[in-house]
Amino acid sequence: MPLRRLLALASALPLALAARAADLNVFAAASLSDALKEIARAYEPASGDTLHVNLAASSTLALQIRQGAPADVFFSADEAKMDDLAKAGLIAAGTRVSLLSNTLVIVVNADGGAAIASPADLAKPAIGHLALAEPQTVPAGIYAKEWLQGAGLWKKVIDKVVPTENVRACLAAVESGNADAGIVYKTDALISKKVKVAYEVSVADGPKISYPLAVVQGAKNGAAARKFTAYLASPPARAVFEQYGFLPAR
Amino acid sequence: MSVELAGLRLPLAPFTLEVDAVLAGRVCAIFGASGAGKTSLLEVIAGLRHPAAGRVAVGGATLTDVAGRVFVAPERRAIGYVPQEGALFPHLSVRRNLLYGHSLRTERPAGLNFTHVTEVLEIAALAERAIATLSGGERQRVALGRALLAAPRLLLLDEPLAGLDAPLRERLLPYLARVRDEFKVPMLYVTHSPDEVMALCDDVLVLDRGRVTRRGSPQELFVPAKGPRYELRGG
Amino acid sequence: MSAEAWQVTWFTAGVAALSTLLILPFGTALAWLLARREWRGKSVVETLVALPLVMPPVATGLLLLKLLGRRGPLGGWLERTFGWEIVFTWRGVVVATAVMSFPLLVRTARVAFEGVNPRLERVARTLGAGPWRVFTTITLPLASRGLVAGTLLAFARALGEFGATIMVAGYIPGQTATLALSIYHLVQLGRDPEALGLLGISVALAFGAVWLSEFLLRRRPA
Repeated sequence: MPLRRLLALASALPLALAARAADLNVFAAASLSDALKEIARAYEPASGDTLHVNLAASSTLALQIRQGAPADVFFSADEAKMDDLAKAGLIAAGTRVSLLSNTLVIVVNADGGAAIASPADLAKPAIGHLALAEPQTVPAGIYAKEWLQGAGLWKKVIDKVVPTENVRACLAAVESGNADAGIVYKTDALISKKVKVAYEVSVADGPKISYPLAVVQGAKNGAAARKFTAYLASPPARAVFEQYGFLPAR
Repeated sequence: MSVELAGLRLPLAPFTLEVDAVLAGRVCAIFGASGAGKTSLLEVIAGLRHPAAGRVAVGGATLTDVAGRVFVAPERRAIGYVPQEGALFPHLSVRRNLLYGHSLRTERPAGLNFTHVTEVLEIAALAERAIATLSGGERQRVALGRALLAAPRLLLLDEPLAGLDAPLRERLLPYLARVRDEFKVPMLYVTHSPDEVMALCDDVLVLDRGRVTRRGSPQELFVPAKGPRYELRGG
Repeated sequence: MSAEAWQVTWFTAGVAALSTLLILPFGTALAWLLARREWRGKSVVETLVALPLVMPPVATGLLLLKLLGRRGPLGGWLERTFGWEIVFTWRGVVVATAVMSFPLLVRTARVAFEGVNPRLERVARTLGAGPWRVFTTITLPLASRGLVAGTLLAFARALGEFGATIMVAGYIPGQTATLALSIYHLVQLGRDPEALGLLGISVALAFGAVWLSEFLLRRRPA
């Protein structure tokens, strides 16, 4: 075959490949579960790409990425996890953007849960177990601890703390009645019928919550990943996040 | 001491044991080929097995009565049982084996004490030995001694000399005779050896596939033969 | 070894010892029944006992969580009657490890009892010993090696329990932190060197217990 024809075919290949549907691995914080699932339902048919969403505590996801897990996109619930990965050179330059924020709430079981009028009630004996996402690693737990320390309550409740693997497990502990109260994101409380919000931490009193989003360095489907992260920042996606109770980044 | 077996029925595979007999005499033989149900019969008498129907009485006392819902537990029957291969307790010394049942009995006939029994059976020297170090003949004598020291009113022996070679059998037969004569404990003696029957027993019950086919004295039932020294009359 | 590592080790050993002690009487009795008795539905019992061995530990843990949670059928009753909370407490650790090591004890003990010649037990009865005396003077001594081996095996299993424990008790430092849970937690934190230290302790403990158990099982009485 003439060399010119070969070259023409070869140059057309990348375009052809790009046009083929991509399998995207999206590693996202557990609190984003429901909103992301809804966004994915709209995005997949429109883009032709398939989204594989791995939902877990941001700390667990960061660990997996550091150990070489094949992630294309990382959507974390705090900046610290993203910073760690960036320092290790695992984030694609120029793709990082802080997208969302959230607020903390104290939840109790909807059916006969403990009565909490103010945060100080958490120190009372009526609250035997206080569920928090692991306060050393999981963003929701770190935020909760930060707020409790600021409110002078951390030392009073530390013995009752039941650390859970991620914020949704924290929610489940309160739903099952095994924990008397828990601190989760407002967005988590909103999707559960088995808990009710006893107290909402105002934006002014609460910690600065920020959800950064980025493309992972060396992602197999870099183009598709950038397309998806762009979509997440676009109005249709933002509307879904707002619907679930997320706030825009501060 | 009479042993009454009335309407006894015990399903075995592949036949049913059915016995209706009164056994008396000092030593009554239960004779038959292997698998005829002899061991099962002993187990029923000892209270180690429940028959499907029938009655067992020893010395006039009812021990098992299926219809009348009577069952005396084996430990209260005072019926000694020496199984094939003795079944000595491997974790106890000879002395502790011998005395196992001795301390549990409240009534102890005068002759059945440790010194006398070990003397008659010539096992006194073995007292501190471990079971594993005993020969076949020694084991059988210890098993016999153990059963005797539990002061039984009836002794069941299940082919005690089977599995021993001919010379050993010859040597042990006198001990059994001594037990019969010295201790006066009635015995039921299971065997398939006509020679043993002739040497020890005064009454014979022949079992064939679970049924009693002959009753009588050894002289009535056995004749001298060419090969083994005795054989059953009429083959 | 750091003070924290000591605390976790002692806690793990203590919980494993307690859970083994708890399952010992019932497990031994059940093993004896399975070895010596027949009854209708026996195979159902055998299967139920084997389940924790075969099911994924977290599945067993989930079952226990539903049962023993404060609103669960058993957990609610225990809290109302005795004031005991099981989930998220050291009691939860004990229950989870007990359930997971129970089948090992029963299976090994059963084999030990089956190894005792029933003829010996029958002869003992004719010598005047009642069923309980036969059990304590004949069956138990002759089965003792296998029983001890089974107990050690159950203890070793309890030392290493993770799946069911994390479901029922969770990882609460100072309250439910066993060696296995701590290793997992430290890895999550990225503190690998400390995790490896605890790993070393786990291996040493398990090795010792299992080696002793195998040694006892291998030596047969003459």
